[in-house]
Amino acid sequence: MQTSPRRINPGRKGFTLKTSLILLTASLALGVVLPSVLTSMLILSLLTQAVISGILATSVGLLIRQNGVVSFGHAAFYGLGGYVMALLAQRGIISIELAILLGIVLPTVMALLLGLVIVRIPGVAFSMLTLAIGQAVHEVAIKARPLTGGDEGMTFTLPERIFGLPSTMYQNADTMFIVCWTTLTLVLFGLYWLIRSPFGQLVDAIRENEERARFIGYRTVLPRAIILAVSAAVAAIAGVLFTLYNTFLSPEMLHWGLSGSALVMAIIGGPKVVWGPAFGAIVFFLVKDMAGNVSEHWPIIIGATLIFVTLMLPMGIGGALQRLFIGSGKQEA
Amino acid sequence: MMIQILNGLVYGGLLYILSLGLVLLFGLRRVVNFAHGALFMVGAYVGYTAASITNYWIALVGAMIILAVLGALLDVFVLRPLQKEDPLVTVLVTFGLLILLEHAALIIWGKDFRSLPVPAILDGTVRLQGEEFPLYRLFVIGVAAAVALGMSLWLKLSRVGLYVRASSVDPLTTGILGVKTDRISIGVVALGTSLAGLAGMVAAPLLAISPSMGSYILIESFIVVVIGGLGSFTGAFFAALLVGQIYNFGAVYMPWAASIIPFLIMVVILIWKPTGMAGKHV
Repeated sequence: MQTSPRRINPGRKGFTLKTSLILLTASLALGVVLPSVLTSMLILSLLTQAVISGILATSVGLLIRQNGVVSFGHAAFYGLGGYVMALLAQRGIISIELAILLGIVLPTVMALLLGLVIVRIPGVAFSMLTLAIGQAVHEVAIKARPLTGGDEGMTFTLPERIFGLPSTMYQNADTMFIVCWTTLTLVLFGLYWLIRSPFGQLVDAIRENEERARFIGYRTVLPRAIILAVSAAVAAIAGVLFTLYNTFLSPEMLHWGLSGSALVMAIIGGPKVVWGPAFGAIVFFLVKDMAGNVSEHWPIIIGATLIFVTLMLPMGIGGALQRLFIGSGKQEA
Repeated sequence: MMIQILNGLVYGGLLYILSLGLVLLFGLRRVVNFAHGALFMVGAYVGYTAASITNYWIALVGAMIILAVLGALLDVFVLRPLQKEDPLVTVLVTFGLLILLEHAALIIWGKDFRSLPVPAILDGTVRLQGEEFPLYRLFVIGVAAAVALGMSLWLKLSRVGLYVRASSVDPLTTGILGVKTDRISIGVVALGTSLAGLAGMVAAPLLAISPSMGSYILIESFIVVVIGGLGSFTGAFFAALLVGQIYNFGAVYMPWAASIIPFLIMVVILIWKPTGMAGKHV
């Protein structure tokens, strides 16, 4: 049995390796320069949070783009990442570096196993199911009071050094912004290449017509489960970064309200373009910051924007921008 | 023991009434209304306000009528224009509506929990096997039973009921045979949302009324319809009874696990039968 197809469409438009590397370097440089240009700590702190949420939104967007399903439970992977890391490192069982690694690997493995069961479930039911599974994890975190501190949450003390860098680096917005931005850039480029690889095209084919892909002789469950696992890994990375930055964990990190926000960001930004969801996260945080000063009911704007974008801009703001600047969006990645 | 089973029936009954709206909608249009829990919440608030002006019974009818109107609007302005789209578009739009409704409730009624007193005529207890049981809870079970009976008679005997059943089994063939989904859907959706209003109003004296009350029960009613097999009326009935009992016995005997067991059961059932207990291939 074949596991991945040959390139279906070799002429498919996209960035060459060279352009990609230039863009990658430019993006990394931008991340390093921004904190010295933006001197306001407040704005930098907001941007850092936006970038972390952007990574989470990217993971939700990947699932929409590749598997064609909408998850309402990604906060589970995000929160698990944070909790696994904090619980392991807190008790001094293992080093912080290993804890960070496990914080990403564990949710990934769980998602892979879960995926083998749930990716077969059709679209709408998948959304309901992920919502329920996410809330189950949230309940567990609240009930496991001795371990997690229950509703009140738990603080997490960082060791002195992480990956050889002083841990204050992870708590100051100006340096943490660089860490988060670099991570987001690497994640986006990694996903860009994953999506365009033969494996990515196989998953495209499965999304378009699962039955046909199966009849040609491809396995259709495992590739989708792998996408779910990659998506969970990205969400867990965001959760780990958030925990390092905030040094505080609460079950809110696992609540479906957060999954919903991440989904809204992904849709507003447009999951069809790989950077769309992250862009949506930044728009989301700008709206939250500007409207939040005027009224506590700023989510009304978010809800209305979600409805508007879903109906009027199915490719999202990011997709619309890409079409505007790069031209026909038919083959965008 | 008997009391425990009755308490499970109360919660299961509420879940059943709420799930029916989801099942009706899924059967007819193959979409899931994520704002259904928010409509339940609106039903409770509208009933609360109406009951403070008039009385419980007028408020009950009023909440159902207002929710039916909201349902008709939902059908005309959201579901009908979106029926050609991917069902996920409806999921996203109704999720947006959920956010809007929750914040509308926050603006109108504020953050504080409200509580609706039990109507005087049902304010009391009955002795069952030597234990006191609140009369109002028996009333809730009675309402759920009446809804179940009424619904199955309507589905079996009326023409629209026949169309709804046919459509939930095979929407394509049903359409080919000349059933106009659009013509019946406004009434069917209004029926579904008015049931959400009924559930909200009946639940109001039992739960704290708050803008987020809909989210919790939405998730539980999702578990019910998924376990029951999306679009299956009988499946939803038995699944609601099952989930109601699990919550209740769990809360008494295994409080640490009560809220997790239904999720586990759902996952197990979906491994065993990906389309649910009474599921067909979707």
